Amino acid sequence: MLELVDVTKVYPGGKRAVDGVTLRLEPGLIGLLGPNGAGKSSLMRIAATVTRPTSGTVVFDGVDVVARPDVLRRVLGYLPQDFGVYPNLSAREFLGYLAAAKGIPARTARRHIDHLLELVNLADVGRRPLGGYSGGMLRRVGIAQALLGDPRVIIVDEPTAGLDPTERVRFRNLLSELAADRVVLLSTHIVSDVESVASDMAVVAGGRLRRRGSPEELLREVDGLVWEVLLADPADVAEVQARHVVTRLVRTPGGVRVRLLAAARPYPGAAAVIPDLEDAYLALVDPRMHAATEVVRR
Amino acid sequence: MTAKRAVARRGPAQAARTIAGLALGDFRDRVRRPAYLVILAAAVGLGYLAVPEPDSRWAVLNLGHYRGLYTSAYVGMATALAGAIWLTLGGFYVVRNAIARDAASGVGEVLAATPLRTSAYFAAKFLGNLLVLGSMLGVLAGTALVVQLARGESTAVDPVALVTPFLLIGLPMVAVTAAAALLFEAIPPLRAGPGNIVWFVVWLAIALGGQSPHAPLGGIGVHPVAVSMREEMVARGIDPSGQEFSLGLTYRDRPLRTFEWSGFDPDAAFVLGRVGLVAVAALLALLPALWFGRFDPARRAAPVPEPPAAPEPAAALPEPPAVRRPALAGAGARRGVAAGRLLAGELRILLQGVSRRWWLGALAIGVVAAVAPAPAVAGFVLPVAWIWPVLIWSRLGTQRHEYGVESLVAAYPAARLRLLAEWAAGAAVAAATGAVPLARMALAGDRAGVAAWCAAVLFIPAFALALGTLSRTHRLFQIVYLVLWYGAVNGVPVVDYMGIVRDGGGPAGPPSGAIAGLAVALLAVVPVIERGRRAGSVPGRR
Repeated sequence: MLELVDVTKVYPGGKRAVDGVTLRLEPGLIGLLGPNGAGKSSLMRIAATVTRPTSGTVVFDGVDVVARPDVLRRVLGYLPQDFGVYPNLSAREFLGYLAAAKGIPARTARRHIDHLLELVNLADVGRRPLGGYSGGMLRRVGIAQALLGDPRVIIVDEPTAGLDPTERVRFRNLLSELAADRVVLLSTHIVSDVESVASDMAVVAGGRLRRRGSPEELLREVDGLVWEVLLADPADVAEVQARHVVTRLVRTPGGVRVRLLAAARPYPGAAAVIPDLEDAYLALVDPRMHAATEVVRR
Repeated sequence: MTAKRAVARRGPAQAARTIAGLALGDFRDRVRRPAYLVILAAAVGLGYLAVPEPDSRWAVLNLGHYRGLYTSAYVGMATALAGAIWLTLGGFYVVRNAIARDAASGVGEVLAATPLRTSAYFAAKFLGNLLVLGSMLGVLAGTALVVQLARGESTAVDPVALVTPFLLIGLPMVAVTAAAALLFEAIPPLRAGPGNIVWFVVWLAIALGGQSPHAPLGGIGVHPVAVSMREEMVARGIDPSGQEFSLGLTYRDRPLRTFEWSGFDPDAAFVLGRVGLVAVAALLALLPALWFGRFDPARRAAPVPEPPAAPEPAAALPEPPAVRRPALAGAGARRGVAAGRLLAGELRILLQGVSRRWWLGALAIGVVAAVAPAPAVAGFVLPVAWIWPVLIWSRLGTQRHEYGVESLVAAYPAARLRLLAEWAAGAAVAAATGAVPLARMALAGDRAGVAAWCAAVLFIPAFALALGTLSRTHRLFQIVYLVLWYGAVNGVPVVDYMGIVRDGGGPAGPPSGAIAGLAVALLAVVPVIERGRRAGSVPGRR
């Protein structure tokens, strides 16, 4: 349906943000994970036709949308990481303007704006100027605009930033529901945002696609690489951190319980534990673990 | 005792270091932006213009039909005076965002939480402004040297004679400009667009009144220079009576004749006046420390949008975090189906936040246009009607960037249709404010006036959209349009885009077709600028 083929983006100044990424997206929710500066947002902007790739193509339903972006834009819902609003317009007016920009007929637009404002819990304040909205409310306006026009492709970049826990869960569930018959690409660096809803994950680091697979497949890659050890002397923590990828630290009365990644048992008292997705993610993005995950993979 | 003295000594020294450090940081941030190169190029252009080719008919400085031979003294003085006049206008708009940048970047709030005194903050900002304008003055001085050698009327370089006018005339004027820019930023009603218009009027007063012998602290400092040149003319047997001293930019019927001016020897009173002007500028710059709110949103003059009175709906929701499947079917986008609503939306965005006073003003202009005598309609009321919305037009091409909406709409279809709708919204404002003068001209059978009116309605928003898209600030259009408008109102036919300068009943300026053609060309350029911006965009930079 939507396919990024060998996409590279080099910004003025030489920064290679995306480096030869190929990604085929079918209906379903795909979580795009990666550390800050990994190239996620650049990749999202390229997929959303906002940024033209330096090389490579983006194909939607067989059409090159780098050359003809409107083909995708007409069926796209996009929520960028940072965006603003016109402060003197109400949410209803703002969404009305964006609906017109998408070419949605007036009556349909009114009906869908009503529905979307209810969906994001802003129906009561929909006529107030956006300048008076809190950050979380503005984020929900952003979510509503991304759903305008019954999009077939939804691309959302860090969508839950600034949402309270209730709204965060609501939005995750909403995306999961929408993904039944749409392409939903969700970018985040918060693993918990995708682990409960994504059937498919892509991990990027350094502008490259490190891994693509289901959560189960990613978990299998760190099988036997996750350990827990109790350090009696807190002063040892620094040394452990220097030698290993530490995924969690918990201070207890008996010392510091450290969860870490290692190819083999790192300390005599270390116990192997069942990996979770955060362990898998950290193993994939930390260069120190690349060799170990390759061995497990083979 | 010794320790106390050391502390006392360290205080001012520390403050001076802090101010210098902040000013330098401010200066670095500005000079590393691509716009700075454009500013320096403008300074070079001004230097070139100040000392035109010997057979040129343009003149920045002349005494009637005479100018000085291009010696170091004359070239230095002519260029410094050009800088004093034109950097006072353009420089103000260049450095006018010293506080706004800190507010937008969040640096202001960080600084506000440090022990930095407000007066030290303003001193640093003044110094930062002065460094930027001073660097332009430095480039002007360098250009003066190159131009003197290039023109070749005198190859003897006298560095002191060349540079002294920049120190005694240029520097005090840019100091005043640096301070005024800061003062305007710190006074809420002058902070944005209205301040840009007010400064244009203030600048006119400075440029005209500052040449008077009675101007406070010597004004621009031009009077003793003019006296010195007249004395030199007399000494060389030229009768200076009737040869009026002119500073600005004028077009002459024939190239100027020359005389050799040996330079200007400033007396102590003149130098003291110049130093006094810098001191007054510094005091003006520090004045806002008395009321500045240190980036505290609660102390802003403009009301901060209050959060809604009702609690956020999410908090009040008893339901579990489940969702209904959104009923969006049938909301598909169709090409071109919503052009009318798009235009309505763009109009709403363009006019957002416009005060009731503005509407009342527009209404009053309409009433005056309806009752004014016919000759005054095109000559006076129409120009007023088309300066009134200048702040609204200056929003064209800038608001998507200004409010961060650009990142959202970049993924929306029909980008050209949106641009067209934005331009049409600006044209609607021009048509509405000029509607009554149009009706009067039509009733009077003034076909040329009607044609010029139509061309202007196309041109003004296209010009605003192009400049706004290019610069992403309101300021460029505000100042360029003001200069254009001022020229047209003062009868300069070449810039008469409104058809108000008449020659034998018809417009003396460019034909309406040319103005309309220019509007179309500007409109065609806008998507190209947008595409260029997107191709060169770097993440995280706005």
